[in-house]
Amino acid sequence: MNVWKMSLENIKSKPLYTFISVFTLTLSIALLLGIQQLKSSFKYQTENNLGEIDVVVGAKGSPLQLVLASVLHLDDPTGNISYKEAKKIAKNPMIGSAVPISYGDNYKGYRIVGTSDQFTSLYGGELATGKKINKSLEAIIGSTVANKLNLSVGDTFLSSHGLIENEIDVHEEVFTVVGILKPTYKVIDRLIITKLESIWDVHDHHDHENEEHDKNEEHSDEYKNHEEHKDHDDHEEHSDEHKNHEEHKDHDDHEEHSDEHKNHTEHKDHDDDEEHSDEHEEDQEITSLLISFKNPRGILTLPRKINQQTNMQAALPKFEMDKLYAYTGIGFKTITWIAYLILFIAGLTIFISLYKMVKDRAFDLALLRTYGASNAQLIKMVTYEGFIIVFTAFGLGVIVIKIILKLLLNTFKVGHQQSMLQGLSFTDTYPIALLVLILAIISISLSVYPILKMKISTILSNEK
Amino acid sequence: MIQTENLRFQYQNSSELFHFPNINLSPKEDLLILGKSGIGKTTFLHLLAGLLKPTEGKVIIDDTEIQLLSNNKLDQFRGKNIGLVFQKKHAIQSLCVFKNLQARLFFSKSKVQNKDIESLLDQLEILEYKNSNINKLSEGQLQRLSIAMAVIHKPKILLADEPTSSLDDETCKIVIELLKQQAKQTQASLIVITHDHRIKSYFQNQINL
Repeated sequence: MNVWKMSLENIKSKPLYTFISVFTLTLSIALLLGIQQLKSSFKYQTENNLGEIDVVVGAKGSPLQLVLASVLHLDDPTGNISYKEAKKIAKNPMIGSAVPISYGDNYKGYRIVGTSDQFTSLYGGELATGKKINKSLEAIIGSTVANKLNLSVGDTFLSSHGLIENEIDVHEEVFTVVGILKPTYKVIDRLIITKLESIWDVHDHHDHENEEHDKNEEHSDEYKNHEEHKDHDDHEEHSDEHKNHEEHKDHDDHEEHSDEHKNHTEHKDHDDDEEHSDEHEEDQEITSLLISFKNPRGILTLPRKINQQTNMQAALPKFEMDKLYAYTGIGFKTITWIAYLILFIAGLTIFISLYKMVKDRAFDLALLRTYGASNAQLIKMVTYEGFIIVFTAFGLGVIVIKIILKLLLNTFKVGHQQSMLQGLSFTDTYPIALLVLILAIISISLSVYPILKMKISTILSNEK
Repeated sequence: MIQTENLRFQYQNSSELFHFPNINLSPKEDLLILGKSGIGKTTFLHLLAGLLKPTEGKVIIDDTEIQLLSNNKLDQFRGKNIGLVFQKKHAIQSLCVFKNLQARLFFSKSKVQNKDIESLLDQLEILEYKNSNINKLSEGQLQRLSIAMAVIHKPKILLADEPTSSLDDETCKIVIELLKQQAKQTQASLIVITHDHRIKSYFQNQINL
């Protein structure tokens, strides 16, 4: 027998109180941890994943969607923009770097991003093994992708069309993994990165197939939509799709578009292979352009210029995320306050449970004193009892919230592998642990106070 | 073994000053202290056990003046050298019979083999309740447990406060005999404080308060 065992026996002797204490405390800790995790995931996304990206330029549509798609790689893109136009913007002297990205395919739900070399450095990504991408259809993959799909350098894979995992629409072009990135705990961990040309090549292949079918058709095919090439044999459906494409209803678009097309046909006249890459760059499309300024004044002027003078839009990731955060913030706040309330009730339950023990069992405590127990030992006994409950509840709280978040994640994940959730880190749990600890200390101190004041003689004489 | 000198006690907020007779017991000696309710019997016992500090006078147990000990020392001294038997409260509620005895030994820092605990329970005829919760025991069984708790660590002094008052005649007889027998076995001085005249015949030394 020792003081610890005494505490355990005390706990065992009042299962209902113990259950209520542990239950309420677990509930509040789980809620607080859950909120904390969602909040810090959110913060992490905004602070780290936005990184140095000041402005995203993409097709017109919802700016939030553009940011979610192009920066956090969560939503579907708003559409495509012309690479030529994007490059014009990139020439602005206030711009430090302008990284084009192009979407359209996935491998087992992980997005394949066609981009330039600068993309990884936006996120501070470094190669763990392998080498940089040299040519089309080479890919480097994020660490999560490598782990989850068990891919290593030299492995090959076929991409599927669209952003959601499917086995129906698989491209024929074989990608080769040439490098794997070190974990960054940012969004690139879950991306497959390749050259812009890879995306174009994969989809050009489709275009050529189409061209053979409809040499004399309208320019509509030029307006290829990377995401919706579902059926290459059915032209009618194809042009329907084109009509439906919300981003290109604009009449101006078509005019500009036919210009491009002229350009395109001119290029076609050349049989020169060298011109091929030029053709790519001039006529191809990208999903968006990620811009970071070297002159901060650029943020004030350039987005407005783009929004007013072009058919593209410029969105400010920081601003969009702040807005989203403000929308969801009220929910977070409410749940946080509910969690604090439950935590307070849990603290009260612990206090009542211990205080009741000290008061109801005053005679037992007095008896222990006659057995030779010191006041300090009695206080230890009650304190251990409190801490056993608190630590059990904290452990359970962590386990419960991990399970709940995992279940939620599995329910919401659907197709694309871009979960927003970060792992629960020590720094996240630490403030909550501290809060719970302070609460426990207050509850315990208040409940052991009568022990200090205890007069054993009086208690023992009152037995009759 | 236990000796008092000029013992006086006054409760806080009370004008009444209790005077207690001097006693002097050698080891293995018994003493019965009789007195009506309210005369200060329990106060006297608590002074002897060091649960109260005397206003005046001395309590000397085995050459130690216990009123001079610090609180912590006194707790330890009491745990080691004194066994207490009460009228109603006998043991810790959250523990079973056996664990009560283990806890008792832990706090008095005494080492007794588990088989010796069992043989004591056997002598007191409560071995079969070894793992029972104490609120499952009858009054008589509880008083036996109480005796076991008071003697398991082999104290020098055994103090009993109204040990038989709530018991029927037969159980009263058994309990007082067990108490005497256990005191003898552990070579402790036994002091019983009571207003229960049924047990007068068991003691040669008697004082009336």
